Amino acid sequence: MQWIRFAVLILPASLLQASLVDVMKIKGISPDLLLVCMIFFCIYANTSDAIITSFVIGFCADIATLGTGMGPHIISFGIFGTALAYLNRVIAMRRMPYQSAAIMIVGFIAAILAHLLSRLKGSSAPPDLYSVTFWRCLYSCLIGPFLFLPIAWWMRTKSRRRKRY
Amino acid sequence: MLFTWFILGGAIFLLAPQSITNKFQFAFARIFNWPLSIGRNISLSVRTRQQPTEGIERRKYIQLRNHIANVEAQLAVELQRNQQLSGFRKKHPLQNARFVFANIVAASTDELVIGCGKEEGLAEGQFVLGDNSIVGVISQASANTAKVRLITSAASQLPIKIGAENAMIVGIGKRLAKIPYFQTKHNVAVGDPVYCRPRPGVLNSPMIVARIAECKEDGEQPLLWNIIAEPACMIKSIDYVDVIVMSDRK
Repeated sequence: MQWIRFAVLILPASLLQASLVDVMKIKGISPDLLLVCMIFFCIYANTSDAIITSFVIGFCADIATLGTGMGPHIISFGIFGTALAYLNRVIAMRRMPYQSAAIMIVGFIAAILAHLLSRLKGSSAPPDLYSVTFWRCLYSCLIGPFLFLPIAWWMRTKSRRRKRY
Repeated sequence: MLFTWFILGGAIFLLAPQSITNKFQFAFARIFNWPLSIGRNISLSVRTRQQPTEGIERRKYIQLRNHIANVEAQLAVELQRNQQLSGFRKKHPLQNARFVFANIVAASTDELVIGCGKEEGLAEGQFVLGDNSIVGVISQASANTAKVRLITSAASQLPIKIGAENAMIVGIGKRLAKIPYFQTKHNVAVGDPVYCRPRPGVLNSPMIVARIAECKEDGEQPLLWNIIAEPACMIKSIDYVDVIVMSDRK
């Protein structure tokens, strides 16, 4: 794992998530770039690196998300990132539809857990929490596999398996 | 083992007091103030470009409409004082107020992070203005940054006045707020201004905070109105705010 490249990738992603992601809004729904990054590392990094990156990305998500306080995303991204990394050892998610499904499912569950945890801190949940989370995850899962290509290029990761002859 | 340590770290962050953990968010906003502001400005300009004529003119119109509403409220206070103390010279309601200009570093539907803090005299509870109307209250302040809880946040409650009646405005998310327990014997209509009530040491004159967007009888409680209010300005399109800092000088 190239940690400097990881830091250089995550920092702009956090800044984009905090400020510029509104440009990509469709009907008030914006994608979750940090979720896409987390799923990428869960799929393409080894298990211990995936665990570390999940928690670090969760920390960045907490910093970049206003109104939730610190902690909910660290825990939710950490738990589900770790689970996905272990699952990836059994079922390799190298094809785009599988990656999209992983983003959709993990993103939705992690977001719900993060909201539940943030309620422990006194934050209030929006009334349309489930629908907003669903559409946000759907948007992320549609663009996620395509964002994996530049991330893989930057991280010097081989995103495609060699064909066997 | 690695997982356990990280979970423990996350739990510490989760259970630690928000005043401590917020320092991380404030530090992030302070260190990356410049790229965050640029990103937000780009977002705003893209949004404005999508609605070239309507966006600019509507915002100007809203600014002026809020200004007129505030002046009318101040005039009412002045007239009341003049009636009570005719012959005495009194100060203008906001004469002792200082307006601290602050750019918005980051924004969400519930909160703003602004680029001014305690060093500029900001403190918790102070009112924040956008386009001449109250948009929220300082919820936390560090040395150089502060968090603003928007009036539409579900955690926000402000004492208000509609006409001559007192009430509370409570945020409900979705960039809207509601005014609960307002009796149907009082006349209200869509478009009526909602004023924030003065609070000693923080605000000494009513200021516009919202306008009534929807007003119908509550089906469950026929004696009460079901009132939905929208902020008096387009909060998502503002790029700077003014914080009212009342000074103690006589």
